[in-house]
Order: sequence, then C-alpha cells, then structure tokens
Amino acid sequence: MAKLIELLRKHALLVIGIILLIAPHITSQYEFYVLQRGVQNAIHVVGLLILTGYGGMLSMGSAALLAVGAYAYGILLVKFGLSPWLGMILATALTTIIGAGLAFPSFKLSGPFLVITTIGFGEIVRILLLNLEPITGGAYGLSGFAKLFPNLQWVYYFMVITLMFVIIGTERIGRSRLGLALKAIRQDEVVAESMGIDVRRAKLVAFSLSAMLAGLSGIFLANLTGYMSPDSFTSAESTTYLLMVVMGGMQSVIGTVISAIILTGLPEVLRFLSSSRLLVYSLILLVYLRLNWVKSDNAFLKFLKSITKRFGMYTSSTEPGNRS
Amino acid sequence: MNAEKNDDNLVLKTECITKRFGGLVAVDKLNINVYNGQICALIGPNGSGKTTAINLITGIYNVDEGIIEFLGQPIQGLMPHSISWMGIARTFQNIRILGSQTVFENALLGKGYGNGGASIIHTVFNSASYRREVVASTKEVDEVLDFVGLSDLRNEKACNLPYGKQRILEIARALITKPKLLLLDEPAAGLNSQEIHDLMELVKKINKQGISILLIEHRMEVVGKLADWVFVINHGSKIAEGTFDVIKKNPVVIEAYLGRGGR
Repeated sequence: MAKLIELLRKHALLVIGIILLIAPHITSQYEFYVLQRGVQNAIHVVGLLILTGYGGMLSMGSAALLAVGAYAYGILLVKFGLSPWLGMILATALTTIIGAGLAFPSFKLSGPFLVITTIGFGEIVRILLLNLEPITGGAYGLSGFAKLFPNLQWVYYFMVITLMFVIIGTERIGRSRLGLALKAIRQDEVVAESMGIDVRRAKLVAFSLSAMLAGLSGIFLANLTGYMSPDSFTSAESTTYLLMVVMGGMQSVIGTVISAIILTGLPEVLRFLSSSRLLVYSLILLVYLRLNWVKSDNAFLKFLKSITKRFGMYTSSTEPGNRS
Repeated sequence: MNAEKNDDNLVLKTECITKRFGGLVAVDKLNINVYNGQICALIGPNGSGKTTAINLITGIYNVDEGIIEFLGQPIQGLMPHSISWMGIARTFQNIRILGSQTVFENALLGKGYGNGGASIIHTVFNSASYRREVVASTKEVDEVLDFVGLSDLRNEKACNLPYGKQRILEIARALITKPKLLLLDEPAAGLNSQEIHDLMELVKKINKQGISILLIEHRMEVVGKLADWVFVINHGSKIAEGTFDVIKKNPVVIEAYLGRGGR
C-alpha cells in the first residue's frame, strides 16, 4: 500500500491526466458538466495558489477577475464581433493587466487590509457589470457568443491540456527563484527584501499570473455555460476559491487541483441531503481542517497515508516558522 | 587584515545620520567609517541604537537626516533590495530564517529576485538558459554551504537545525548575495563557547576573502579578538572609537556600561 502511494505521488500528474481524459467516457452528461466545472475551477485556483499559497497574499477578488475574463470574452465576441480565439487572447491580456493593477495596494497593505481592498475591488466589478447594461447586459446577463470549439467535449480536452500545462508551469515557478521569493515574502518580508528580493516586482508578477489564470478560467466558464450574469461572481464565490487553496495544502499544486475538483463536486454529491446539504458540506470541511492534514506537503496523499496508518483523531505538530 | 585609512579605501561612511521614532531619538548624528578589509565592531549598552543603525544602513528604515555612503555612492533612501544588490548583506539579531524551507533554499534566497536571472517564460518552459542558470546557482550555493560547513545538512529543513547552525545559515545566506560589506547583528548571542570559537574562525575566514565586516556584539572576548576598530555608542550617538585595547580603558565607555563610579 505504501509503495502504491509512493508511486501515485511520483506520477500524480500522469494519474490525474489519465483520469481526466478517461472520465468523459464513463460519466453521465450531468456528471461530465460538474467535472468540466471542476477542471475550470482548478485552472483558476492554481493561480490563486501562486498568490495566496506561495506569496501569502489573501485575495477575495478572484471571482471578480474571473468575471473580467468571462465578460471581456463575451463582450469582445458579441459587441465587437471578434473571433473566439482572438477574443480569448485579448480577454486574458486584459484580465492580466487589471490583476497587475490590484498588486499596487499590496505594496503598502498586507493581511486584513489587503483582504478589504480586494473585497472592494470585487464589489466594484460586480456593480459595474450590473449597471453598465448597454455593454454587459446588466442583470439579464450576457449570452449568444461563439465558443472556442463547436463541441463541448473539445473544450473539455482543451481545458485539460491547459490545466496540465498550468500544473507543470506552476510547479516550476514554485521551485524557481520567483517561487522562493514569494515564499520568503509570506514568511518574513523584511528578510526577503534584505536578501535582495525585489518584493514589489515579485508581488506584481504573482498578482499578474494569478489574474491571467483567473481570466483564462473565466473564458472557459463562459464557454461551458454559454451565459453569464453578475450573480455568478460574488465574493462568496471568492471564498470558495480560497477554500480550495487552503484545502489543497497551500503549497502543493497537485493538492490544489485535486481539492478544486473535489470541492466542486462535493455539493453535487451531497445533493441527496437536500436542505441539510450545506451543513454537511461545512462539517466535512471543518473536520478535514481540524485533522490538520492540510499542513502536510501534499494534502491528498498524506490523507491516504494517515488512513492506512491509523484511524481516529490525529493532529500533527504544526510547522514552526510557517505563518500560513 | 589591516587597511590604510584614506578616503579611497572607505567602504561605508555614515555622516551625521539621525533617526527619530516620535520623540525618541534612536540614532543621533552618528558617524561611522568602515575601511576596506576591516572588521569593525559596534558596541554599546542595550537600547543604545546599534540595531537601528544597521536597519538604517540596510534601508529597512529611512534616515531622517544625514548621508550614508557605500563605496562613494549615497545609498540613503534606496530600497533594501537595491542596497543588497550593491553589496551590503546582513544577518539578524533574532534568527530569521525560513523555517519551512530547506537549508539549501534558505541559502538560495540570497540570490535575490529581480536582479537579472531567467525570465518567467524561460522558467515555465524550462529552457536551456534557465537550466544552465539553475546549475550555476546550485553550484554557487553548494560552494558557500561547503565554505561555512553546512553542506551535510543541505536538504534538512531549516527549523530542525540547532541554534548555532541556524546562525551559520544566516551568514551563508548573506554570503550568497556576494557582499562587499557584511553586517553581523550579535552573531554570538546564545552560542556556547565551542560554537563561538567556530564562529570567530568563520568570520576571520570571510574577512580574508576581502569582505569588510561590521559587527554588533555584546561579548567582549569576541570583540577583542576580532575587531580592528571599535565604535561605542550610547543613546544613539557615538561616545568613543578606537582599538579595543584603548576603548576598554576609556572612562566614558566604562561609565556608559557600568554607570558612574562603576570601576
């Protein structure tokens, strides 16, 4: 069993890739939709991992960046008549620029103050979308735009390929000097800048990267649903995305991806509980967090390991020096 | 290493630097000159402004008044990372390493970010130039870890290291930045006599490589054995300077440490 887990850990990316490629053939149409949303969320949440997990900057505006990506794509296609691919590139670029702008408050603010700023940004975007009715369609939402591929299955495969690329890229960034710089900023900003880390530049890059992935994810969301309205991008959604990063272990890319897919599916799995669904959902999350597996290197695999080792409440010692 | 004291040889020069925190004057018109190749010590009673002075030199705080010159260039008002890139490295009084990162990663931190190096595109695509850079920086870090004697703990998590080794790791991290001036903030605090002996050997070895050192220290035996020149400050201003043998007989210094009639 331990050997199997070690094998799984080594080839986690491959395993996830194979599962995601096989899944459409064995799921029902509804399950497939949930899976698509899971993959789409995963792309977004990996971006949030760079910002929050590595860099320790809490952003509650991630749903708004998702909205910027989705709406920019929709508006460029519907109002300006661009082709889907050109729209995708421009919308991603626009989201990246806006996300980079969000980095500027983070030069002076941190912790709760930065959170408030990002919540403010999220609300501004939501209200703008609601009120700029001639462009965004207001509360009626926006629809009627072309998709990247005529077939949703193709969109799914394109998303899976993008996700694989994002995973590999993010893991490389995590090991690079940028990743190390961000981890240093999270743990001790004074040390980081004293050791020659351009803190502002690192923060700017982290915000831009995370916004780029949010924008990309928003475009995929638009492709999956074919419709968007400001209701899908509230700050409550941002909390869920943040939760996916936390449950994924804050440091592990693979853990974040698994956590994003599971947390997207969990409310659907619990649907048979009808009204007590959210209660059970929160309970599961609380128990998971209480058991402290999140602090481990790779949350999901440690989770498997601890099940094989023992059964019952178990708290590992917390890591000193890790403020996450 | 003894050095000639002329202006061409100056590494660090502070001119009348002052820092106030509200009504408290933490550093008051402080003048310090560090010459190339010297080991200087900055001593003074607790709360006399030694660490504040280091924070001013490294740009953590901005000076209210005065000029700081490093190798002839004014550095006051620069961001800490720019000052680090120019060649001033430091360690911290209370050890500040990244506990959840390995020894290697902690040392690698000294390579900084934003001062050249592979772009993010190269990183993501793992290009040949990026791989070359990684090999080069890995070699560099391993050499420094070897130099300070931490290479066998390379992959250990930094928080698992004993206290003395953590201090050495901080010095290693500072050395990776390729400094011309190294500021050591109480490196011997909390170490046992064997560790202090090793530390002094290391400091001498670093100095032999041509790195000037400014040392804050409370242990007088360390100051006596290492420092070529000693500055004594009290209440933020310099009250004496000279070689250690002269300083320890200075009545003003004795009074600052022990009070009036302390002898």
